[in-house]
Amino acid sequence: MRALIRLAGLFRPFRGWMLGGLALSSLTILANFWLMTLSGWFLAAAAITGLAGYAAQNAFNFFSPAAGVRFFATLRVGSRYAERLVTHEATFRLLARLRVWFYATLEPLAPAALQGFRSSDLLSRLVADIDTLNLFYLRVYVPVLSAIIATLIMTGFFALFSVQAALILLAGLVVTGALTPYLTGRAGRAAGRDVVRETAALRGEYVDAVLGMGELLTYGAAPALLARAARGNTRLLAAQAHLAKISGAGMAASGLTTNFALLAVTLAAGGKVAAGHLGTADLPLLALGTAAAFEAVAPLPAAFQYLGQILEAAQRIFAIADLPPAVPPLASPAPVLEHFALVLDDVSLRYAPGMAQALRGISLTIPEGGRTGITGPTGAGKSTLINLLLRFHEYQTGHASFGGHDLRTYDSAAMARYVTIISQRSHLFHTTIRDNLLLADGAATEAQMWQALEVAQLAGFVRAQPRGLDTMVGETGARLSGGQARRVALARAVLRPTPWLILDEPTEGLDATTEQDFLRDLAPLLEGRTVLCITHRAAPLALMQQVYALNEGRLVA
Amino acid sequence: MAEAERIDPRLMREGRRSRGALYTSIGLGLVSGWAVIAQAVCLAQIINGISFRHLPPAALAPWFYTLAALFLARAGLAYGAEITAFRAAAAIKTDLRRRVLERLFARGPVPAADEASAGIAATLLEGVEGLEPYFSRYMPQMALCVAVPLAILALVFPLDVYSGLILLVAGPLVPVFMVFVGYKAEAINQRQWDKLLRLSTHFLDVLQGLTTLKLFGRAREEIAIAARISDDYRRTTMAGLRVAFLTSAVLEFFASLAIALVAVLFGARLIHGHITFYPAFLVLLLAPEYFVPLRGLSVHYHARMTAIAAARRIFALLDADVPAPGSVILPKLSQIGLRCAGVSFSYGGAMVLDGLDAEFPAGKITAIVGASGAGKTTLARLLLKFASPQAGRITINGTDDLAALAPEAWWAMLAWVPQNPRLFHGTIADNLRLGRPEATDAELREAARLARALDFIEATPQGFATPVGDLGAGLSGGQIQRIALARAYLKDPALLILDEATANLDPASEADILDAISEIARRKTVIVIAHRLAVAARADQVLVLQDGRIAEAGTHAALLAGHGPYRALAQAYGEVPCAL
Repeated sequence: MRALIRLAGLFRPFRGWMLGGLALSSLTILANFWLMTLSGWFLAAAAITGLAGYAAQNAFNFFSPAAGVRFFATLRVGSRYAERLVTHEATFRLLARLRVWFYATLEPLAPAALQGFRSSDLLSRLVADIDTLNLFYLRVYVPVLSAIIATLIMTGFFALFSVQAALILLAGLVVTGALTPYLTGRAGRAAGRDVVRETAALRGEYVDAVLGMGELLTYGAAPALLARAARGNTRLLAAQAHLAKISGAGMAASGLTTNFALLAVTLAAGGKVAAGHLGTADLPLLALGTAAAFEAVAPLPAAFQYLGQILEAAQRIFAIADLPPAVPPLASPAPVLEHFALVLDDVSLRYAPGMAQALRGISLTIPEGGRTGITGPTGAGKSTLINLLLRFHEYQTGHASFGGHDLRTYDSAAMARYVTIISQRSHLFHTTIRDNLLLADGAATEAQMWQALEVAQLAGFVRAQPRGLDTMVGETGARLSGGQARRVALARAVLRPTPWLILDEPTEGLDATTEQDFLRDLAPLLEGRTVLCITHRAAPLALMQQVYALNEGRLVA
Repeated sequence: MAEAERIDPRLMREGRRSRGALYTSIGLGLVSGWAVIAQAVCLAQIINGISFRHLPPAALAPWFYTLAALFLARAGLAYGAEITAFRAAAAIKTDLRRRVLERLFARGPVPAADEASAGIAATLLEGVEGLEPYFSRYMPQMALCVAVPLAILALVFPLDVYSGLILLVAGPLVPVFMVFVGYKAEAINQRQWDKLLRLSTHFLDVLQGLTTLKLFGRAREEIAIAARISDDYRRTTMAGLRVAFLTSAVLEFFASLAIALVAVLFGARLIHGHITFYPAFLVLLLAPEYFVPLRGLSVHYHARMTAIAAARRIFALLDADVPAPGSVILPKLSQIGLRCAGVSFSYGGAMVLDGLDAEFPAGKITAIVGASGAGKTTLARLLLKFASPQAGRITINGTDDLAALAPEAWWAMLAWVPQNPRLFHGTIADNLRLGRPEATDAELREAARLARALDFIEATPQGFATPVGDLGAGLSGGQIQRIALARAYLKDPALLILDEATANLDPASEADILDAISEIARRKTVIVIAHRLAVAARADQVLVLQDGRIAEAGTHAALLAGHGPYRALAQAYGEVPCAL
């Protein structure tokens, strides 16, 4: 519930749109309700008049009810159209709002908070969660609230004729709209979880089959995997069959309630008509009204399902939003620097309380203009050193200074002004080469970009592309080879002449020939900058003046 | 659209596989639809009886009981239709998943670049699920759409010709109109969905690159860009939706107008006593029911679109070409020597292998080296019989043609360790036993020891019972390599083909793996694709692949002494003049 209130708070700026959609949705339901009640009454009243003879026929006002029928028929169509426009418009506005909010929330947390979301699979799940949250308005808020509003008005209208009929209608609507969906939802929750679990298991088998096909075939293990996948499919279908039974029972129960409410209203009102307490024409009015009223609660079973998904998504999203930033925000603006030496004195860092220290008592001085290489096996703490320097993670003990000021007087935005990083993990955005270069320097001219590509030895390739600088690089740079992607990162570094340059595994994943070429083109860029190079490969270290080895978080000279 | 029309009949053919359940489900839906009509008759009788024949409700008890019975029957029918529809779809889903998977195996391993594994898994899961509404909703709805309105017309015409005519004219307008605008709306929606997808991808892209943005000090500006793109998207989508909604509004307008017209026409005649209340009220009850299945059609049309999109991907996998496998079965050989003579291969573009001649002597280690893209992996694929040469021959021990061999018989004699070995869902022991399920624990330990894997396996709390794979504990790349080597050793093959992947390992792990390879290679024919020269240095023979042919062959030392491509390669690898 708290999650819903928070969600409603996020949507506050769009109250007008949200209420507008709600009003139109309620109006649509009511227009249909009155179309049917009026039609029923009109036919009966006209029939009574027809039986009563000429005088009554002349007195009967034919045109107002007939116009009313046409009016409600048109209103229903018009308000339905307007409702769909307004609710969809609101949905898109809310989605934009959600995405911007989530991005703005995540930005100060990155990359520390996203550490666990390194794989794009989990990140896609977050994006999907945002899309799910966005369903709240269209699939829950509008149907639930408009059903409540319409229920109150419709039962109030019935009460004008018969309190008993009104109570029957109210009970029927509550059972169909709330009780049945609630019960089927509760019964289906375990089955729903089974379906999710079995789907994930079966997906694992399929991914195994595709990625491991060569090994499965050569080891003669393909039939075993096919059999396992078939069993997985059987288990998934069994879980789905359980769910189908529950939803089938729910549907049958809703239909039964609707129909028996109609029967009960007819019986109750029929008794009153026979006793003369109710007009003859009121019986068809109430009967047709009852049938039409249930349109209001038809979307509620789906709304209950969506609500469950939305609450789960909200839990995950808000849990991330509530993470504290790894580095506390700055109290005062970061100092402006004249020189850029880094001094670490007995610095230790652990990522979370209870975890082993990733850096243990590091003392290291990198003089301005120096070129320092750090080497060591995977997991030795090389990347942690970069996270420390870029202020992505907080160190716990020891003293660190950058340019003569305590490192704690900077945040990552301040450090980014002085440091450029070339890394295997440098992200290439799914846009043009031009946009990827402009990222480094928004004011770069066309000439500067070409010059940067020239230095990075990529100009020839880009020129050969039909669309030149406007060539799309493909999702996470998929259309460029590993070497070319690295060169785009290099060109970015050319466009951004910061005092510091960090090379983070600059040649990882390149074959030896490509590595040699890349390092040759990188060399001129190191002139006049302070360089820190982190690698487990030998070749890049040849460009460094001093090399340290890092092992299990300690520097070994 | 023409293509979608070709897919429909094919889906129907798939449906024939479980036609029993499918027809039952459609039948139950039809009976339920007709029960609605009977129900309207009962209700009209009751209300007419009370209001115009002035009967007390008790006198109408038979009608009340019939009505209650119809309600109960409809609840049962609804439940039954739901269950049988699920059963029908379940049988189709099982069958399709099995056939697609078998087809994938028959086709053999595909280059990873062609189809993403996640994409194929999604087609098999969500894609196949997407067909369910086609069989459980769309097809029954199509039947209802014809049968229920016709039954209502058959009832209405004898009661009142005018109303019958109004319904007769208005009814077909709905599907006809849908055919005209529905297809256009479909194209519009398709465009919008692509846009939605792009936007979602953009958002994902931005989140993935958030660290990079921060490093460039531009993370905050991106907020504004994200907002602007969302806004653009909203504007164009709404323009499309306005049209799509308008068309459905017009459809609803026809239905509403027809009902209002029926009511008003009856009213006018009732006033003048030209007609009685009962037929008028019955037709008014039936008129909305007349349009219900027709309106449902547009809802389920969406299910059809989803199904067709999914079916397109499924059928593409089912229709993939499968190479004709050989059928000759050789007895298990203890020694294997291979020879390639004039072997050529291309993936459809430039020749990757172009008249390659090579010899892989029995019982020796042969290393294949060459720049990336030289065709090393392709050559291994041909030797593994994952693909067949388009020209030339590969022969075994100088006599048997590899192309004629049954793949299973060939695979039974060899083991293959790819660059990124796959650990399957299960325990480490399950993975080691992949090729020999009957291997004893002692054999497992011995294989692990030789592959330098025993120490780290025993260091884990569960040892050989440690779960691995997607859902299991994470192992490092070097550890996975060593398990894969142990698995290959355990199979005791005559031929071992390795794609050596030490490029991204630190030097200590690399040395470990090289030792393991030397250990398990004894007395076997070994072919190693070498990405580092350390492996080539230990080989009996080195083949240098260049431009789809063997440019040079010999021992590491002999080739290094020469001035050919191998020496140039060694210089690039930084191994001739020492880099440090």
